[in-house]
Amino acid sequence: MTDKHGDQASPQTLATHADTSNVKKVPPPETPEAIQTRFRVIAAFWAVIIFLGFPIWWKTTSIYRAHLPIQEMVDWADSKACRPVFPLEIHLATPGLQSTEAQHLLRTTQHTLDDLNEFAAHHLRLKLADDHTGEEDVTEDKADTALTVRLLPQEDIAVPRSEIHTDTAQLDVFYPPSQVPAPSSSNPPLSAFIAEELQRLYSEEKATIAHILSGNTAGLDSTSPQVAESISRRLRRSMKYAETYHLSFSLFTPGAEPSSWDIEAAVHEYLSPLLEAFAPISNFTVDTQVQLYATFSPTAPLPEYDETEAAWNLKKEDLSAFINAAEWPLNPSIGNGPTINFILYVPSPSQSPLIVKENRASSWIIPQWGGVFLLNPDLSPKSKSNPAHLSQESLRPAFMTFSHQLLTLLGTPSTPASLPLRLHTLIRMRAAALLLSASSTMGSLARLTESLPSIPIPATVAASVSTTLSHLAATCSNLRDGRFSAALASARIAEAEAERSFFEKSMVGQVYFPDEHKVAVYLPLLGPIGVPLVVGLVKELKRIVASRKARRQAA
Amino acid sequence: MALLFRSLQTLCFLLLISLVAAEHTSNWAVLVSTSRFWFNYRHLANVLSLYRTVKRLGIPDSQIILMLPDDMACNPRNAFPGTVYSNADRAVDLYGDNIEVDYRGYEVTVENFIRLLTDRLDADVPRSKRLGSDAGSNVLVYMTGHGGDQFLKFQDSEEIGAWDLADAFGQMWEKKRYHELLFMIDTCQANTMYTHFYSPNIVATGSSELDQSSYSHHADNDVGVAVIDRWTYYVLEFLETQVTSANSKLNLGDLFDSYDESKIHSQPGVRWDLFPGGEPEGRLRTVVDFFGNVQNVEVENSNSTEPGSLKEDLAEIARLVEKWRQRDEEYSAILSSHNNTEASSLHLTAKKTVGSTKMTDDNSWGKRLVGLSVVGACTAVWVAGSILGRKV
Repeated sequence: MTDKHGDQASPQTLATHADTSNVKKVPPPETPEAIQTRFRVIAAFWAVIIFLGFPIWWKTTSIYRAHLPIQEMVDWADSKACRPVFPLEIHLATPGLQSTEAQHLLRTTQHTLDDLNEFAAHHLRLKLADDHTGEEDVTEDKADTALTVRLLPQEDIAVPRSEIHTDTAQLDVFYPPSQVPAPSSSNPPLSAFIAEELQRLYSEEKATIAHILSGNTAGLDSTSPQVAESISRRLRRSMKYAETYHLSFSLFTPGAEPSSWDIEAAVHEYLSPLLEAFAPISNFTVDTQVQLYATFSPTAPLPEYDETEAAWNLKKEDLSAFINAAEWPLNPSIGNGPTINFILYVPSPSQSPLIVKENRASSWIIPQWGGVFLLNPDLSPKSKSNPAHLSQESLRPAFMTFSHQLLTLLGTPSTPASLPLRLHTLIRMRAAALLLSASSTMGSLARLTESLPSIPIPATVAASVSTTLSHLAATCSNLRDGRFSAALASARIAEAEAERSFFEKSMVGQVYFPDEHKVAVYLPLLGPIGVPLVVGLVKELKRIVASRKARRQAA
Repeated sequence: MALLFRSLQTLCFLLLISLVAAEHTSNWAVLVSTSRFWFNYRHLANVLSLYRTVKRLGIPDSQIILMLPDDMACNPRNAFPGTVYSNADRAVDLYGDNIEVDYRGYEVTVENFIRLLTDRLDADVPRSKRLGSDAGSNVLVYMTGHGGDQFLKFQDSEEIGAWDLADAFGQMWEKKRYHELLFMIDTCQANTMYTHFYSPNIVATGSSELDQSSYSHHADNDVGVAVIDRWTYYVLEFLETQVTSANSKLNLGDLFDSYDESKIHSQPGVRWDLFPGGEPEGRLRTVVDFFGNVQNVEVENSNSTEPGSLKEDLAEIARLVEKWRQRDEEYSAILSSHNNTEASSLHLTAKKTVGSTKMTDDNSWGKRLVGLSVVGACTAVWVAGSILGRKV
């Protein structure tokens, strides 16, 4: 132990000797050139860092955020920028009346209408059909005619009656010639009748639009709860608006037959007219498939045989399990746009006829998804089997029902009883809904921009936003002028652009790093470089300060 | 009296509205496993068990997004090739013959997951890989993997932070991409993952508190690894034994009350405060609101004659068809009269074949010029440098 201690002591003393000898030996003083060179080297390094490194770092790590008109976007979302109004232009054709009589009738009817109306955004404007044919015929900003009312005198009736044309937008009002209003009467019964009729015709549309505009909370005060409920139910089950819908028709059967169907002819015959009528609103693509040996899912409740009805019954509450989602190939198609599925189910001969128990119906709608139709073909008497081929005629009831289901799924209102008028109403509803949805997307984007400062905003988004805003303004003014088809067209563009701007691919906010992550990234990189640089800078500054002091003292 | 009646009526109406508001119209499920490699067999089994359950309760494959980062069924170490089991009794093959994996292998990344939630995907991504939920959709998000304090590891290379997840849900809410959302996560320190959520209508539940591990339930000696995690095991047990049909009335309260810490070996957490009405309201949501598929089927009464009913519509459509047929006949009559002149030209246009086209339309000469000038400039610099260097 002691030996070791002694051993250690001697080198220590040696070392101190060496130290003292070293202290005396001072290194030669630095030449001024050397000092200057060192200063230049350090200055050069720092110049590179400040003038090159720092800007590059700043440039490469900063996020490009295009300027967005935030305030304007928020205004649209809060519906401050636009109050949608729906002035419907109704033409009054009065072949049997004098011009002054017609004018008077128009005025009093309009007056009564305005009195009846309680929803200011949606109002009816009457116009005489033939009073401006000469003057302003080719103006392109003419409002769409929503309805033509033809006043026809009829001798053999005591009170006026009306009749709606089911295939054109026309309402015939027959009136006894004795009821032609005298120019003095302020409230003739005929104009009251017309106003009443028009009001009735558009009451559902009015309630629906009020419902849409108020954000699905409450409609008009006067709408009964039943009507409000039916409207909100219809809006809930209808598909979201899309430019293109895929219609998929599938034939499912648990056996081997029927294995073919006249689908092409049936689609052309029964469905094309309807799709054609929908052309101003949406586009459609159609595809079809046949699936044999399509069984129910193992957990699905099986139909029960009812002796009194001589039919197999499905319970209403079990219908939601009817479709074997796991095994039937009902996948969405490739391409954008939602798919509406229509299923034609032919039960096996041992379970035919198959119906819904509660009301013996053979079809049902699955909201926002599609429709199902149970087709019970006549079994062949000998072998008790399904026919091998379904002819176009046997598909008729199914396709009529599918057409009806399509109308329902696309949100077509149920009144009035004329398809063109219902489609016109649908155009206005869709325009209103798209206007609101694009506006709210703008608001979402504005809030997103402000709440996530780390998200990049490319220039394309700014471009899309400005397109959206201009088309929203166009929609608004088109609505105000009563050009609803044009309004829908620009609302479609606004919606598409709004969606594109919100779902811009490069705006992914996956750039949140906690501060410790940043330290972890930068420290290994900058530590080894930074320490000598900073120490060198500090030393050089000290030297400069010291030499200044020395110079001042010398002076 | 009349006043009383009136107020009662409005009350009923209000009730009706609130009921309507509480309804959802579709169900979506996002099931994510985030870990690779054979020893993480249990994470894939967790997800596949959940997949099987939601499919059993009626959510179709088109509304389930399944993310599996590895393929355990085809792993060479798998003693039972082509199958995945989540229980040592090997009663149910989770892989089966009908499974649709939407994102697999290296497609399972943080970026893809966030893109999926926020739908910021390329236009050419198929619909089966998209979350097509809307303002009426209830969404179930289930995640499992290896995690830590406020992060979850994806594969072996990256991680998702609780902030990113919260922002993704925030954006979904902004764009009305869900009606109500149930977030479930089974990982170590799982409850930290939902601490940053801020968007409403979310119920979140996790398997373990901060600084707690989430344990596996049991191993299968023949498979050689653990096959399921504890928390998922007991959630599944509840779902499989109690929620036997899509019409089950059991609610989320029942599910969360079934957590037994002595069995799970960690403290599961539930977050209610984002849900409107908080815990009392949230507990009333049925389990199948999130795990099942709502289908409020509407049977059409073929006998009613009210406007918009089947009968009325059918009559209108029949008239439309009739009109169309007439127009068709007129058109074909016109066509046949012009037949001789137009048929030939029609044939000519039809014969035109589609040739190959250039993919890009920008001018290649401009690009070549730029390249040439760059090369020229570099050469000039080099020449100048060598001349100057010689002089020194």
